[in-house]
Amino acid sequence: MIWMTADSVKSASEERLTLRGQMADLALVPGWIEYLAAEYAIPAKTQYAMNLCLEEVLSNIIRHGYANTPDRPILIRYKAVQENSSLLVIDDEAPPFDPLAAEEIPVEQTLDGTRVGGLGLRLLRSFSTSLDYERTPAGNRLSIGFSSAP
Amino acid sequence: MEMGIEELPGEVTKVVFNGRFDIAGAEAVDLKMNVIAGSKKLVLIDMQKVSFLGSMGLRTIVSAARAVRGRGGKIAVFGPDQEVEKVLTMSGVNALVPIHHDFQTAIASLQ
Repeated sequence: MIWMTADSVKSASEERLTLRGQMADLALVPGWIEYLAAEYAIPAKTQYAMNLCLEEVLSNIIRHGYANTPDRPILIRYKAVQENSSLLVIDDEAPPFDPLAAEEIPVEQTLDGTRVGGLGLRLLRSFSTSLDYERTPAGNRLSIGFSSAP
Repeated sequence: MEMGIEELPGEVTKVVFNGRFDIAGAEAVDLKMNVIAGSKKLVLIDMQKVSFLGSMGLRTIVSAARAVRGRGGKIAVFGPDQEVEKVLTMSGVNALVPIHHDFQTAIASLQ
C-alpha cells in the first residue's frame, strides 16, 4: 500500500517527505504540498510551481537516476526561508546527474523535431526563482527556491 | 483525469479534460488521445477543468498536436486557467497549439 512507503516528518526548521523511488509515490506529493500550504500560508501560484517542479524532478530521478528500480529513497525537504520565500531540497542516491547542465533546446527544435528534451528544464527555470545542484556523498541534491512577491 | 469527446458542427472534435493532467492523468488518456490525434483533423482541447498541467501532460498535448498537424489538421486549446496557460506559454507549446479564451474564436481558428 502506497501510504506505508512514505514518511512525512516535521522538525524544528524543516518538513520532510521520504519517498520510495516508484512512480506511484508521486501521487503523495500534491497532498503534502496542500499540507505545507496550510501550515505555511503558501500562495496558490507557489503551490502550483512546487507541484510542477517536484513532478518533473522526481519523475526524472525515478526513471533515469534510479532506472525504475523500486525502493530507492528520495528525500524532499521543505524550508520556509523567510516570509514569502521557501526552498525545496531534493536528495537522491543515484549516479551523478546535474539536471541543470542539460542542454536547453530551442523551442522550435523541441516542438518540431523528435527530441522533447529540455522541456522539463525550461519549465523548472520558469517556475522557480533559484535552482542549485550539488553532488553529495550519497548522490545528488537539487535545491529549488520559490519567492512569492506580494 | 477524465476525458470526454464531443463532435461539434463544422467537423470540430472537442476533447474535454477534467482533473489533474499530471503523470497519472496523462497515462489515463494517452491511448484515447492517440486515437483522436490519428483520426481527427480539427481538434479543440477544452482545458477549463484542468487543475494542473505538468510536463508529461504537456508531452501528451505536443504528441497529439504533431500528429494532427502532420496530417494537415488544426488543433487549439480553449480556456486554460492562469497557471496551466503559463505552462503552455513558458514551454513554447502555444506556438504549436494556440490558446483561446473565447469559444467562438477558438472554433473559428480551426475553420
